[in-house]
Amino acid sequence: MNDILTVEKLNKSFGSKKVLKDVSFNVQPGKIVGLVGPNGAGKTTIMKAILGLFDFQSGNILVNGERISIVHHQPLSDVGALIEYPGIYPFLTGRQHLELFADNETTRKEDIQNIITKLNIESYIDRKAKGYSLGMKQKLGIALALLNKPKLVILDEPMNGLDPKATKELRDLILQLTKAGTTFLISSHILSELEKLVDEIVVIDDGKIIKQTSMEALSDSNGNYLVLTTSDDEKARKVFIDEGIKLEQTTEIRIKKTSDDQLASLIQLLSNHGVNIIDVQHEHSDLETSLLDLLDNKQVEE
Amino acid sequence: MVTLIRQEIFKLIHKRSTLIGTIALLVLMTIFAIFSKLQPSFSDPKGDFIAAYGGLSWVVFFMIAACSTIIAMEFQYGTVKELLYRKYYRGQILASKWITMFLYSLYFYVLSFIFSIILKLVLFNSKFSLTDLYSNDQSIMHTTLVTYAGNFVGLWLLLSLVLLLANVFKSSAAAISVGIVGYFATSIVSSLLFMLINKWEWVKWNPLNMLNLPTQLSNSTVVGTLTRLSNAELVWGNLIYTAIFLFLGYLIFRKRNV
Repeated sequence: MNDILTVEKLNKSFGSKKVLKDVSFNVQPGKIVGLVGPNGAGKTTIMKAILGLFDFQSGNILVNGERISIVHHQPLSDVGALIEYPGIYPFLTGRQHLELFADNETTRKEDIQNIITKLNIESYIDRKAKGYSLGMKQKLGIALALLNKPKLVILDEPMNGLDPKATKELRDLILQLTKAGTTFLISSHILSELEKLVDEIVVIDDGKIIKQTSMEALSDSNGNYLVLTTSDDEKARKVFIDEGIKLEQTTEIRIKKTSDDQLASLIQLLSNHGVNIIDVQHEHSDLETSLLDLLDNKQVEE
Repeated sequence: MVTLIRQEIFKLIHKRSTLIGTIALLVLMTIFAIFSKLQPSFSDPKGDFIAAYGGLSWVVFFMIAACSTIIAMEFQYGTVKELLYRKYYRGQILASKWITMFLYSLYFYVLSFIFSIILKLVLFNSKFSLTDLYSNDQSIMHTTLVTYAGNFVGLWLLLSLVLLLANVFKSSAAAISVGIVGYFATSIVSSLLFMLINKWEWVKWNPLNMLNLPTQLSNSTVVGTLTRLSNAELVWGNLIYTAIFLFLGYLIFRKRNV
């Protein structure tokens, strides 16, 4: 399937400081892609470049196969975005903001009402935005990004300022829109939230892409473990070492999970040596652990 | 493009300063007219009508404020990203702001004119008629229209500079200050300027000299010898400088990182 977004060898400097170094990744239609990395890694800069807000030294950005640059924005008609913090006119009400940017003359009212209902912002939408709390502004910013039914939505830290209920509502809405075919590129520091959403993740550090992988592959490669308690841990350890099975350096018997039928063969092996298994725990490492491992490994490589 | 202009007008209409500006203009003109009526020895009812009872001068301040905020507010509220990432060219976005301000200045001029007529009818109806002769053997109505046109062209030279500076400084306060200083500078430095023009002929082409257009139109013979430019040259000079300042503003806006 053709990518809805392709970033190729993007380079950007601010003065002598290189902030993006040969950044390349792609986003397929209908996917939710997370852009993660430490503060100052270049996440927002990438998003701004995709939206044609920045000039870049070299590289290509394609939306639906068409090039984007600071002077060429036409393909962005299918893109909605919330970058850094929501841009809000204090003298307009929330509804007036939506009226201002609603594209489709004929379905304008319906589109606006639809988005208000979906984001559950009815109670304050007709109040002037200058009185909005951080969370209210954030929701209005998201509403603006989702207005006009964009095919690609770019959200920079969308959970900022949202309470747990609003966060869950937003997550459900994103999943619902993805089912209907919308594609999302989301950056967030709240990795536990991102983990519940994204299909793929692009890891960036110091302006470089470290990895682009599916969530499944990341958690498989980085951290599902079996933790065993046996009738004789010392003997069990010896059996595993003799068989060439790698044990993690922990007090309990911890083995990295490599396949689904691995447990059965381990049980068989131990019972052949007269060791009984008392308890088995499946440990899944979360995105945070996987990510930290990935960033640590990168530092080791460097 | 029409969508962008519609958006700018929508914002302008919903800003409180727009309503305040309109009411302030009407109140100030009324106060001026009443003062003129009460103190006939200090005033010239015909001249006051032609100058829209001070309205044309107040419009300069309101328009300087409006032009600097229409650009600077987008940076201040962070809405500039919201505007720029959409499908439009940056030139279109900037042009929509220029056009909106042009329409806004027209609105103020039409309002000043209509309200001047109302004030004249209510307070000075018996004093003069619009067909009476004023200066240069022209009727009051004719002089009024020429004054308005001259002021309008001069206003836009000033506004083009304000729009350029609002872009450079990212702050409405700086642009407003420079605009207002520029406005006063013409009257303060004009005598100095005329001396310089007398010494070096080419100084007459500087933009400050162009701002003498409205004064020269109302008094061609005297001022014309000072500016050393014909009315037509002044009008063209104003238009060309306006175009240059707007174009410079566009060049900056086009490549600006946000």
